[in-house]
Amino acid sequence: MSQHGIARSTRVRTEEQKLLEIERIKKYRALEDQVRSRASRTDYTAELFHLTSQLLRLNPEYYTTWNVRRRCLISSLLSKPSPGSSLSRASPSSSPAATPTRPSASSSSSSSTAIPPSPGSPTAGTSGTTAEAGQTKDAEILTSELTFTIPLLIDSPKCYWIWNYRLWILQQIIERLPIAAARQVWEDELGLASKMLNKDRRNFHAWGYRRQVVEKLESAVLEGQSMVEPEFAYTDKMIRTDLSNFSAWHRRSKLIPRLLDERRADDASRRAFLDKELALIREALNVGPEDQSLWYYHQYLVLNLVTTAGRPTIAPALATEDRVTYLTRELVDIKDLLEDYVGVKLIYEALMEYTMYMCQLEERKPDADERAQLIEWLRQLKKLDPMRKGRWEDAERDYGLAEPRFTIT
Amino acid sequence: MESLGDTLWDVVIYGTGLQQSLLALSLSRSGKKILHLDPNDYYGGPDAALSLQETEAWVEHISHPANPATGVFRSSSITKPDGATGLSFPRAYSLALAPQVIHARSTLLSQLVSSRAYRQVEFLAVGSFFVFNPPSTPDEKPSLARIPSTREDVFSEPTISMKAKRGLIKFLKFVLDYEGESQRDVWTPHADGQLTDFLQKQFNLDAQLQAYVVALTLSLDGKISTKDGLAIIYRHLTSMGLFGPGFAAVYPKWGGLSEIAQVACRAGAVGGAVYMLGTSIQKLETRESEIELHLSSGDVVKTQLLVRNDEITDDGSGVSRMVAVVRSTLKELFEPLVEGAPLPAVAVVAFPRGLVGDDGTPTNPVYLFAHSSDTGECPVGQCVLYLTTLRTSDSKKFLNKALNCFLESINEGQKPQSLYQLYYEQARGAVESRAEGLIHNLPDASLSLSFDDSTLEPMKAVWEKMLSDAPAEAEYMVFPDRDVGQDEEELYD
Repeated sequence: MSQHGIARSTRVRTEEQKLLEIERIKKYRALEDQVRSRASRTDYTAELFHLTSQLLRLNPEYYTTWNVRRRCLISSLLSKPSPGSSLSRASPSSSPAATPTRPSASSSSSSSTAIPPSPGSPTAGTSGTTAEAGQTKDAEILTSELTFTIPLLIDSPKCYWIWNYRLWILQQIIERLPIAAARQVWEDELGLASKMLNKDRRNFHAWGYRRQVVEKLESAVLEGQSMVEPEFAYTDKMIRTDLSNFSAWHRRSKLIPRLLDERRADDASRRAFLDKELALIREALNVGPEDQSLWYYHQYLVLNLVTTAGRPTIAPALATEDRVTYLTRELVDIKDLLEDYVGVKLIYEALMEYTMYMCQLEERKPDADERAQLIEWLRQLKKLDPMRKGRWEDAERDYGLAEPRFTIT
Repeated sequence: MESLGDTLWDVVIYGTGLQQSLLALSLSRSGKKILHLDPNDYYGGPDAALSLQETEAWVEHISHPANPATGVFRSSSITKPDGATGLSFPRAYSLALAPQVIHARSTLLSQLVSSRAYRQVEFLAVGSFFVFNPPSTPDEKPSLARIPSTREDVFSEPTISMKAKRGLIKFLKFVLDYEGESQRDVWTPHADGQLTDFLQKQFNLDAQLQAYVVALTLSLDGKISTKDGLAIIYRHLTSMGLFGPGFAAVYPKWGGLSEIAQVACRAGAVGGAVYMLGTSIQKLETRESEIELHLSSGDVVKTQLLVRNDEITDDGSGVSRMVAVVRSTLKELFEPLVEGAPLPAVAVVAFPRGLVGDDGTPTNPVYLFAHSSDTGECPVGQCVLYLTTLRTSDSKKFLNKALNCFLESINEGQKPQSLYQLYYEQARGAVESRAEGLIHNLPDASLSLSFDDSTLEPMKAVWEKMLSDAPAEAEYMVFPDRDVGQDEEELYD
């Protein structure tokens, strides 16, 4: 399992270790067979549940095992819903792939939805205390499920199935527990996502997970309100910890339209906001011009200036001449970087692209000075990035800068 | 039971300073017969951590007319400022005589890991390095400026211009690859020149940034050479983040190197070495193949090798040190500035060259290591400050001045009070090992403020000599775990 910048290591095994492994494989296979045979008999009992615990500790990537575990919870361990509860009206659970691995005759009786009780069952006309007792039991079970996944997540932080399972448990918590309790659990979940991001700041699973958790916390289901301000502040924190964090810059860019809307920002404050963001990325590029994440964010801001049609931008009310002023300044500042940073191809790329944006804004073609600069920058790019020679030559052609390769006589 | 005199010891190690203790650790699985002595009642020797009572006894011993005025430690005194209240009971303090910070890349740490001794030491993070800035006008307070040492630090620092930042970034990048061919071409012609000149000529760094860089080297005279400076900065930068975000060096809890010495001796004892504190060598007789030692305990022992600190003393220099207990948590010094970083327990403040003196008098840099109570060296609510500067006729005065200026720069309601001050001078007479027949003399403790890996070499040499008859696979400071890990097995049961 790889993490950014840390290589996988291959182990050298001695004879003794090989024998030990063969033993372990035998035990694993026996466990796996037990789980599979019981599942195919739809024997979703507490015993099978415990077997899945063992199997998952050895191999959390075996996603079918997680599904078997879900069924055990629903069929035996979690409380059955009382009539009129949200569960009995619930649509099939949100977990993926609820179909059994082996087709079997008896599988039809064990669907993934909770079975509504028959009218004559003991749960009909349930008194308040029985429902409460059910909730308490569920809370215990679901909390312990969350705890169960934690060491597995720490060992395999990029295993989709563990993240999905946690989300499914969290969803069960919303469906089965009172809102205040459910909300607390989801808030703690945000803490977990932050912790995982501290361990590996560029774990995109953790960033995606964070987004989902925040969305749920903001929703009416958990009586939430917008969290766009603290989330924006969070991206700031992550960026200051590590400028190369593409996910953080990306999330920041996604939050901005909603942030400005919620702040009810007028044109003046929108402009001030844009100024601040440009200053931030300018400082970042000043110390890290070789960093692609930074250039992506800079481009995002510049595109906000240059394109107006179609989508919400930071400062839509800017007049064209203002936009030209902004872009001019960016070009000047980026050229300054060339004074001290030699051989950084991304600088030349940016200069080239933004010059073309400038022409686009002013609805004209590059003038003589610009043409000379573009030719020089492309010359540098061809030198610094010879693998993309084709791309640079295409650019030359597109901008009408290329010399004819051959003449037809 | 065999008495000490019946055994022919393979080695008698005299003194439980860090060097001797590491030697004991390295020999702890060798089966050699080791007798490890220390004339003091405590472990650690010149690297010990002392309670207030032990400090008083130590000062008395140094100042005693019977003792030579030319030992390693000299001119010591204790001051308790008038009106200072709040000093706790003596055992609540553990003042370290060797408060070196240890960089994450240090060989010492990898030796502690490979020998498994690291588990018994609790390492704390050394956080920010600061430079002291005197006030620009008489009405203002002095301030502390945090030294940026990562790209993110430089990014966040508001007081450096954009152009100057680029210079600094280029320098940091250069150092990270300073052993590369093209980089060597740039700096080797200036190897023995001053680092500050190199920074100015090659990277256009102004005086402020030069001060930052030199402060990171902890250079005692501020005149560190380009060659030495680059090596130390390289170590600092490559240590950053190695054990966790936001810090480049660690410090052992409960008294710095003294704790490592104790752990090493413990390992020696577990390995079978015999320990005797409060025991000095009163008489020494060398024979052809053994030495006879008459101990203060009355025992007479014979050994094939004696390892001790040298008795050579120097005639001047060395450092002046002040240890001050202050009544403040100095919280602003110990903030983790990076997400997920541990709370640091040590902060470094540099008073660059020429700063502390009276007008017109150039002075040496002063370095102040601030330790929070997390180090276990003082009670909660207080801090221990360790100030060091090169010894001169005025160095004691300058240390006092630096301490005062530092306390003035702290942003609390009132200027923090100093409750207790220990002053002493430390010399380094012997800088290399010296063989004297069957006696191996180790050099004196290093005066470097960050742990100097070269001080580990003498012990390895002794180990190699002692195990010259051992099987070739024996690796220095590499031991297997004494008990096998159980965790993985449990999963399969």
